[in-house]
Amino acid sequence: MRSLDRMFEQSSRLLAQRTSRRSLLGALGQLLSGAALLPLLPLARGGRAAAAAARPDVNNPQSCDYWRYCAIDGFLCACCGGSTTSCPPGTVPSPITWIGTCHNPADDRHYMVSYNDCCGKTSCGHCDCNRNEREKPTYRPSRNNDLNWCLANGDDSNYHCSVSVILGVVPPGS
Amino acid sequence: MRRPAALFAAAALATQALAAADPRIDYTLFCMGCHGAEARGVPGKVPPLAGAVARFMRTPEGRDYMLRVPGAANSALSDAQLTAVLNWLAERDAAAGEAAVAPFTLAEVTRVRRTPLADVPGTRRAVIRGLTAAGGAAPALDY
Repeated sequence: MRSLDRMFEQSSRLLAQRTSRRSLLGALGQLLSGAALLPLLPLARGGRAAAAAARPDVNNPQSCDYWRYCAIDGFLCACCGGSTTSCPPGTVPSPITWIGTCHNPADDRHYMVSYNDCCGKTSCGHCDCNRNEREKPTYRPSRNNDLNWCLANGDDSNYHCSVSVILGVVPPGS
Repeated sequence: MRRPAALFAAAALATQALAAADPRIDYTLFCMGCHGAEARGVPGKVPPLAGAVARFMRTPEGRDYMLRVPGAANSALSDAQLTAVLNWLAERDAAAGEAAVAPFTLAEVTRVRRTPLADVPGTRRAVIRGLTAAGGAAPALDY
């Protein structure tokens, strides 16, 4: 036991001789500032940036980010008493439609999509979306999705909301 | 010997271009939005294609009209794609009982579609009067 006492006494004296009380504060300060800088390292930030870039609602039919709504311009019938593919009660689908393609990230395929306007009631007013991907109305008026397709409905030309109907898969290479 | 070889090569290329086009996909993407899934149009607003394409193709003026009408001439379809779509529609008409007609050739489509129609409804009426005079059923007059 005496040898242990001596050893600890010597090491304590050595520590007291060689270090000051202020050095403890310095070491603690270094530790604290080092810990504060850890989240700024590039590894953690890169991962968060990729997650933020992906659309979180790509599979949510009541979100404008739903993959089938890639070029939609109007109110989503899924928020208006209908569904992604059916008009709400009291409205009828327009006979003429906007047709294009949307990419489904789940299976990496392109689908032919028809946006049918539902007509016969005043505007729904919920889930207003305006994505317009690849729309070039000046060059291709038939692809202008600002049009009210209900104009072909005669007496029921009031626009209410839009549905998105899948017509098929675009074969690779076409 | 060089000329026949070149002609054969050109014919082979044209055939390849026609074979590469899928008229059903092109119809869906470029025509169906207005003319509908069954190509019946919207009465009084959008002219039907079903039952009409093969009828127009019976006379030179009707063939000319089909290729110069804005929906065909101004479409984003290539000449080969437009040829394939119109011939596919005519085949559907023939299968539904219309008289079979000579299909459009790529050269015919390429030559004719470049000249726009100045008066679409007037040309349509003149073409349909000619079809009626030639005998047989004609598409609806006014659109």
